Amino acid sequence: MASMLQPQIILLKEGTDTSQGKAQLVSNINACTAVADVVRTTLGPRGMDKLIHDDKGSVTISNDGATIMKLLDIVHPAAKILVDIAKSQDSEVGDGTTTVVLLAGEFLKEAKPFVEDGVHPQNLIRSYRTACNLAIEKIKEIAVSIEGKSLEEKKSLLAKCAATTLSSKLIGGEKEFFASMVVDAVIAIGNEDRLNMIGIKKVPGGNMRDSFLVNGVAFKKTFSYAGFEQQPKKFLNPKILLLNIELELKSEKENAEIRLSDPSQYQSIVDAEWNIIYDKLDKCVKSGAKIVLSRLAIGDLATQYFADRDIFCAGRVAEEDLNRVAAAAGGTIQTSVNNIIDEVMGTCEIFEEKQVGNERFNIFSGCPSGRTATIVLRGGADQFIEEAERSLHDAIMIVRRALKNSTVVPGGGAIDMEISRYLRQHARTIAGKSQLFINSYAKALEVIPRQLCDNAGFDATDVLNKLRQKHALPSGEGAPYGVDINTGGIADSFANFVWEPSVVKINAINAATEAACLILSVDETVKNPKSESAQGEAAASAMGGRGRGGGFPGRGRGMRRR
Amino acid sequence: MALAFDEYGRPFIILKEQDQKTRLRGIEAQKANISAGKAVARILRTSLGPKGMDKMLQSPDGDVTITNDGATILEQMDVDNQIAKLMVELSRSQDYEIGDGTTGVVVMAGALLEQAEHLLERGIHPIRIAEGYEMASRIDVEHLEHIAQKFDFAPTNIEPLVQTCMTTLSSKMQVVNRCKRPLAEISVKAVLSVADLERKDVNLDLIKVEGKLGGKLEDTELIYGITVDKDMSHPQMPKQIQDAKIAILTCPFEPPKPKTKHKVDIDTVEKFQTLRQQEQKYFDDMVQKCKWFFSGGGVGGRYWYTPLQFWGRQLVLILMFVQDVGATLVICQWGFDDEANHLLMHRNLPAVRWVGGVELELIAIATGGRIVPRFQELTPEKLGRAGLVREKSFGTTKDKMLYIEHCANSRAVTIFIRGGNKMMIEETKRSIHDALCVARNLIRNNSIVYGGGSAEISCSIAVEAAADKHPGYAIRAFADALDSVPMALAENSGLQPIETLSAVKSQQIKENNPHFGIDCNDVGTNDMREQNVFETLIGKQQQILLATQVVKMILKIDDVISPSDF
Repeated sequence: MASMLQPQIILLKEGTDTSQGKAQLVSNINACTAVADVVRTTLGPRGMDKLIHDDKGSVTISNDGATIMKLLDIVHPAAKILVDIAKSQDSEVGDGTTTVVLLAGEFLKEAKPFVEDGVHPQNLIRSYRTACNLAIEKIKEIAVSIEGKSLEEKKSLLAKCAATTLSSKLIGGEKEFFASMVVDAVIAIGNEDRLNMIGIKKVPGGNMRDSFLVNGVAFKKTFSYAGFEQQPKKFLNPKILLLNIELELKSEKENAEIRLSDPSQYQSIVDAEWNIIYDKLDKCVKSGAKIVLSRLAIGDLATQYFADRDIFCAGRVAEEDLNRVAAAAGGTIQTSVNNIIDEVMGTCEIFEEKQVGNERFNIFSGCPSGRTATIVLRGGADQFIEEAERSLHDAIMIVRRALKNSTVVPGGGAIDMEISRYLRQHARTIAGKSQLFINSYAKALEVIPRQLCDNAGFDATDVLNKLRQKHALPSGEGAPYGVDINTGGIADSFANFVWEPSVVKINAINAATEAACLILSVDETVKNPKSESAQGEAAASAMGGRGRGGGFPGRGRGMRRR
Repeated sequence: MALAFDEYGRPFIILKEQDQKTRLRGIEAQKANISAGKAVARILRTSLGPKGMDKMLQSPDGDVTITNDGATILEQMDVDNQIAKLMVELSRSQDYEIGDGTTGVVVMAGALLEQAEHLLERGIHPIRIAEGYEMASRIDVEHLEHIAQKFDFAPTNIEPLVQTCMTTLSSKMQVVNRCKRPLAEISVKAVLSVADLERKDVNLDLIKVEGKLGGKLEDTELIYGITVDKDMSHPQMPKQIQDAKIAILTCPFEPPKPKTKHKVDIDTVEKFQTLRQQEQKYFDDMVQKCKWFFSGGGVGGRYWYTPLQFWGRQLVLILMFVQDVGATLVICQWGFDDEANHLLMHRNLPAVRWVGGVELELIAIATGGRIVPRFQELTPEKLGRAGLVREKSFGTTKDKMLYIEHCANSRAVTIFIRGGNKMMIEETKRSIHDALCVARNLIRNNSIVYGGGSAEISCSIAVEAAADKHPGYAIRAFADALDSVPMALAENSGLQPIETLSAVKSQQIKENNPHFGIDCNDVGTNDMREQNVFETLIGKQQQILLATQVVKMILKIDDVISPSDF
């Protein structure tokens, strides 16, 4: 009786939503599995694309795991972790974003029955961690190094890696074409770490094969003034002057005002302004430059001045393009036209203004230092080019990673099967519960080949059994076998050049395990009601913003106005 | 849209505002996408070919467009569906890249989608279909190259080019059809005069296409020079100038002012005098260069001593200078006031004011002149030259235009279109644009294939033959889709589609001659070579590749997530 009379202790604010214990854990797992299910179908060369509208009406068609996860706008707190690992995989290695989400989802799914049966999550976590370390060691062991090969050989090996990445994308049909383009681009920038030295320009129209690589810089014709068309449009070995100043007849200082008490100076002010601009132009011409580029405007006066002297100029060049020209042509960007020496001017073999699709492009090719490359992408629709750009970005990242950590593993699910087999084998040597957990981890890894089959419409069980059998061969010769996407059987991925850089796999397994462990270790979610109402408020103020701004500070009023 | 439910059947809130989103997935999504794409293609289908019909489109603000140009129709339709938008972009890409065949590419894509739908119903994996299409398109493109013919043209022999442009124009509006021959000739001549044959580069910006209401289509002409929709600044100025020397100015007719905000304090008469003297000196200096002034031209004297005519005096000095350099016509980017106008007239120096920057540039290119920013910099070398400058008025209206013709260097030309109504002129402009693009493409690559659906039929036969060697249904489906273009041509021409197509097909196979097509114009022969119906090879190849590419993209989507109010 006494206990019933005791008043209830109120610890949290009213409306706080707490859920805890096993039920909460299971519900989190369910949410994560649901998210993994969304991206599931995008895996592999037979993976499908998603078309996602956002509320602003813009549309994305994509096959890239990270892009899809980002656009899904996930609010579930546990499922958000999956978005984060996809993002981290994207920024770390650039590819394998679908894989990482899928693996994490599968690890959790395998853990679910154990949790329901009352296994303490920490036990699971410990075993998963062990399994993860074992898996990574195994990858390192299997990985084949491409170090020490000649450049030509290396190039073709890298192209294989890029082709594997591209095969799952929309541009998969032309993967060899793009793979070699990507490799050329990456090799061109050498060991330079700045990825922005590879420019990707998108021009709607044409087909994919019309895309081309410029060994130098290309950018769209900038806004031009009258007189531009009278300039020559092709040069061989020109000197290129790069500027960051305006070449325009205008007041030298903003908001300046000149007060003349002595009218005799009036004319000198007029002359002074003209002299300033002519002096600048004259210096540009005297420097011997044949091409003048500026990040700021080059006005009509300057355009005509240059046209008279057979010099090509372009104003308002985007900063990144200008930087690329500077890196490629070997010049430096000048902020003044005084004392221009030959060293600060760049050069290239050929400069030309060319028609690409509906646009005119300025193309600088055959640059001496060659530390830049520009890929001009063509395609039938805007979304197509956008997706192609994302795919190429993945491929570029892969090639760069492979160039640095030059080890590769067989793809097509082969490596996953091999790790799975290894872990199962290892599990048998362990006494205790851990054996079960590591076994389930091993089973979860099989999701990659299984999903590859599912997406391609093959009988997954059948293919998987064949693969298990191959991998279980004691000689170990079956290790590189993976799913053969063309026939629906199995094939030696290594011999078929389905290669992935090992760093992609290592990172994916690591990130997925960590995410799974993180979610498993959560047993209570406290959802603060305030954040909820703050959201509502934000929405209300967005809707009824005018009402509040108009002198009704009452929040309720704003709400009612909806 | 809920992704998952808990054990009580309540949905998890995983996505932001997830109950306001809809999701279509799997085969349903593909079906919905395909039917959207097909719907777009169906609209354009009737516009294909020489007997294709036009569409009338009314924009939200009431403007009416009548056209049968695929890209224009789709652009104006303002579609909302995402897949339909892809079709619009497909047509636009063809327009950007080739400029012609914008209807054909959409019809082709629609046919491919239709075939894909059948295959999907049979349970074939969409990516398999896409791969089959891709392989077929490659076979197709190779085959096109195989049946293509090269022909040579020279600036002296433009006949082949004209023939190809005529094929393009024949599919346009009937009114254009009427005088396609002269229009084709105009287009070809225009392109050839701006083309850089060495680099195989044509900048279409240098061809100005201008239209003016009134007259008839036959009055359309090619002007080796520029027309400007302006008239002489003073009605009494001469209307015609032979061997004009043109000063192209970007400065107003007044003494230069500083660009910086300035203020001159004048509180005494002396200061005013000084200021005046300054300006006077400026012009004196300028006039130093002007021999005419010193060699005894006394006319200016009248103004010299009249303080009230202060500004006018300066002006006249400017004019004298301009004339002394040798200019007989002034084209000015800015305006000038009535006084200046009067003086120009008085000094017999015709002038045109308020000419836009783009036109100014074209005039400079056409006449070989230079644009001059300051009077001081005017030299005889910077003057442009034109054989004839005349002002032409039209009909009974007061509209006048300035023709600058017979230019020294006609690297910029104008096509001047006349027509009975505005819509017709607009449509003619679009047709001419297509013809120009075709001519440009031929300069870049002088291979042609025969039109009238003959290329498609020939490809269909080739792809079908290849389908026997490769496994899969998709390649055969591609061959069927190829048939739909000649089929639509026949349908639109009022022929029996199936009968005509099969007749032509069997004829092609029997005689092993890829030149047989649909006789849309009822000439009496099926041989497109005799009918002189050509299309460019790259245009045709581009159509196939683009259509395949977009169809592949549509087939690859299996999940559509959108806000439900869409």
